[in-house]
Amino acid sequence: MGAQRCAVIGIGQTKYNSVRDDVSIAGLCREAAIRALEDAQLGWSDIEAVVIGKAPDMFEGVVMPESYLTDALGASGKPIIRVHTAGSVGGSTALVAASLVQSGVHSRVLTVAFEKQSESDAMWALSRPIPFSPPTLAGAGGYFAPLIRAYIRRSGAPSHIGMKVAVKDRLNALKNPYAHLHLDDISMEKVEESPMLWDPIRYLETCPSSDGACAMVLGDEKIASASGKPPAWIHGSAMRSEPTMFAGRDAVNPRAGQDCAKDLYSQAGITNPRKQIDMAEIYVPFSWYEPMWMENLGFAELGQGWKMTDEGATSLDGDLPVNCSGGVLSSNPIGASGMIRFAESALQVRGMAGEHQVQDCNLALGHAYGGGSQYFSMWLVGSKKPN
Amino acid sequence: MSKEGNNLSEVDILEAPNILEYPYSRSTGPVIGEFMTKLRDGKIVGARTKSGKVIVPPTEYDPFTSEDIDGLVPVSTSGVITSWAWVVSPSEKHPLSEPFAWALIKLDGADSSMLHCVRAPSSTSVATGKRVKAKFRSQREGHIKDIEFFEIEEAANG
Repeated sequence: MGAQRCAVIGIGQTKYNSVRDDVSIAGLCREAAIRALEDAQLGWSDIEAVVIGKAPDMFEGVVMPESYLTDALGASGKPIIRVHTAGSVGGSTALVAASLVQSGVHSRVLTVAFEKQSESDAMWALSRPIPFSPPTLAGAGGYFAPLIRAYIRRSGAPSHIGMKVAVKDRLNALKNPYAHLHLDDISMEKVEESPMLWDPIRYLETCPSSDGACAMVLGDEKIASASGKPPAWIHGSAMRSEPTMFAGRDAVNPRAGQDCAKDLYSQAGITNPRKQIDMAEIYVPFSWYEPMWMENLGFAELGQGWKMTDEGATSLDGDLPVNCSGGVLSSNPIGASGMIRFAESALQVRGMAGEHQVQDCNLALGHAYGGGSQYFSMWLVGSKKPN
Repeated sequence: MSKEGNNLSEVDILEAPNILEYPYSRSTGPVIGEFMTKLRDGKIVGARTKSGKVIVPPTEYDPFTSEDIDGLVPVSTSGVITSWAWVVSPSEKHPLSEPFAWALIKLDGADSSMLHCVRAPSSTSVATGKRVKAKFRSQREGHIKDIEFFEIEEAANG
């Protein structure tokens, strides 16, 4: 027996901000969850199970958040699961929630992902020394900069590509009221003038540090069909992971990402992703990851991804708009960032993305990655029921 | 095992310390935050749910329905013991150095019980249903320990 149909029927986001000290972590999660329930026109008692995700425990010093959040998320007396896959967790959390519906076990599931970067220091958590292991030290930027340099060397991409992504995503963010960064005066010059943090990554080519939560309500076919608003039907979902280090590993174009995309496309009958997929919301914490993931995801041939950015194909009016929400470059509550990608893809196919809506968006990709480019989670959502 | 190999007992096992330290911060939010602030003022507040029940200490939501609470209301600093356990030999970490009771205390005006310690001369003076009153410290900082302990109210008052 195959999977049961499942769709997103409610989406809720908080405004992403550097500091949300007006609410507790529970209050932040409730803000997103209540908005998702309202969008789905459901109440707490309609929810059968809750699936939550957050960044690694050390990021906020909250261990077993599922226990702490049980009452706050209406999960007492119901199953509640916590998912843990580093930066890709928001995506994986949505997929685990979907699997509870696709398996036929539950008909309405609430899923929530969050992060309060203001209450911790992700840079510290990512840089702690571990005895007998090579240190990553300089946080995520220090880890990814050499991979970006390797990409530039391999592809021969011109140096302005990263800046172009940084400007495009910030312009998109201006159309998204939930985005953390609203940089009205963003320009290539501004990005170029910003300090070089980890060559070739400039300050304005990195993601911000945000507080925020994202939530979705998933329903089965019967619930989704009866929903008052357009559902976003899941057409495919996949997760893959690989170790941080092994002999022969290509960390620039990881095998796990390629395999994950291949699996996803085969589920949805996609043979030409660039033609068949209408928009992609992908995890780009550093500007250069847009062209890198375009290749890893099969939207471009190897070494050609940067041309999509350069030609404007990934702009809001391009043939494959990428990160219409403003992306991770504009909002980064780490534990929620993957789910925000998934939620944006769902908003797009529901036609509910507001000013950053892509016209006639019928099939959208949500993508998240985490760790040292080693955990991947993806889904394809569509405006029409899958076959 | 060959003569050239090492016995496992002779293997030099590497060891290294790995100390993780980071000062996290916590935002208490408008509900727990107000409870703490009022403790500093020597007062106790509870959360009023939409059904009219008062939860002390306050939660940010109705613990039974998950709905938002209706607001915060003051409750008395006195109440009754609803359950208790006697600590015969307090450890260094305990709030009191003399034998004392951990007790669930339902403050006047509250519908739920709050855990705190009760100072009493002996276990025989503690009982479910006995009235107790909060003894606040003179120096308060907005912490549950601003209540030093609860003490049995005089029979004349109770």
